[in-house]
Amino acid sequence: MTDDSDNPMGLPLRSQKNVPSSKRGEPVDDDLLLRRVSQKDSSALTKLFDTYGGMVYSVALRVLHDAARAEDLLQEVFFQLWRKPESFVSGRGSLGGWLLVVTRNRAIDILRRKRPTESVDDNLLASAESLASEVEREAMMQQVRRALVGLPAEQRHILELAYFEGLSHTEIAERTGQPLGTVKTRMRSGLMSLRKALQA
Amino acid sequence: MNGGVHIAQEDLALYGMGNLQGEELARVRTHLQSCAACQEELSTLAADLSLLGLGAEAHPVPAHARARLLESVQDEMEPAAVSQVHPITSLSTTGRRRTAWIPWVIAAGLAVGATGLGVKVNTMQQQLQERSRMLAQSQQEAMRSREEAARSERVLALLKAPQAQRATLTAAKTPAEPTGHAIYLAERGELIFQGSHLKSLPEDKAYELWVIPQNGAPIPAGVFRPDRSGDASVVMPPLPTGVPAKVFAITVERAEGVAKPEGPIVLSGVPMPGA
Repeated sequence: MTDDSDNPMGLPLRSQKNVPSSKRGEPVDDDLLLRRVSQKDSSALTKLFDTYGGMVYSVALRVLHDAARAEDLLQEVFFQLWRKPESFVSGRGSLGGWLLVVTRNRAIDILRRKRPTESVDDNLLASAESLASEVEREAMMQQVRRALVGLPAEQRHILELAYFEGLSHTEIAERTGQPLGTVKTRMRSGLMSLRKALQA
Repeated sequence: MNGGVHIAQEDLALYGMGNLQGEELARVRTHLQSCAACQEELSTLAADLSLLGLGAEAHPVPAHARARLLESVQDEMEPAAVSQVHPITSLSTTGRRRTAWIPWVIAAGLAVGATGLGVKVNTMQQQLQERSRMLAQSQQEAMRSREEAARSERVLALLKAPQAQRATLTAAKTPAEPTGHAIYLAERGELIFQGSHLKSLPEDKAYELWVIPQNGAPIPAGVFRPDRSGDASVVMPPLPTGVPAKVFAITVERAEGVAKPEGPIVLSGVPMPGA
């Protein structure tokens, strides 16, 4: 492939191989815990719940704006992990990153009253950044928040409408009163800035 | 490949988030089937976007959620144990034909059955042990919750008890001044205030506590009058959640309280840094 075809959008790349080795893959602990979950060891599930429950609940609550429904989703996500731990494939990112994707996608489904099976693609990669320890989660949380706060308000708003409310470009344009072209340009700029900030 | 025309990054991002519908969705999906470059870009975008969830404000998991999950897990495991018992009971229907060789068949069947039964008993014992362990874990958690709840109740009772001895410690020989202590958890909208050495007020007046946010109007947080010794407390007044305080203040208002502060501020305090 040419340089251009390697990077058709002309954006800085952040492939899995660029992630520092100390942050790559999943800590052994999560792998072990998942293996124990697949052997129906409920104490392993509660350990994962203690680690990631707050993160999952916070995303669910941010999307749904309803504590009861967010808690139901929290239960659903971890019960699903209990019943089908093989749904998570470690090659597709870290367990923490995958839980974020699953929770966000399911919350948007609930928001839009869609059945779970209608999600576009369950095979997408999540971030490989490990979120298994509190320190790692906190550091990544700070980095993401700094990245978001660093964006111009319009770009941040558009990204948030897309991510936390599941809106399309047209819907964002209608919601914000901005022309469709402006929405797309701002979304693109926001994504570019987000990637740079996450690489930093 | 597809003639060098790629899907715009913002469209790929929306596709990755599942926000595309209809023709747009079909167009992107079709393109991705034959374009490795866009597939790779989609993967990178998905990895970036997956972290956006961390931008959500952090909330603690509801207190009972862990126990609820354990209950669901236990419920799910129980039917599995029951279903394994079934085949054992069906053995009794196999030996009814009156033929000469049947005793041998029964004997062989019993031998096999006994082996199978042993395995099943083992499995059931393991399940029983697992359930007992989970039950013990749940009971421990319930006990911990009860202890914490009981302790919280004692703390609240102590804070509210009119007969409790209260003292504000100051440098020696300093005359006692009106003071107030506020403990406020913005994310839950929970507040406890204790005042000491407050001056008594005329019948038609009362003190009113205010939570003053960074932006927006002061939020009334309770009307109170001190007792004879000048002590007063406000415990868990109704407050909105998620509003951090810039300043706490006490004003003197009409006895029934007011929606916006009108009277003079008699006490105020800024939350300590890092709170």
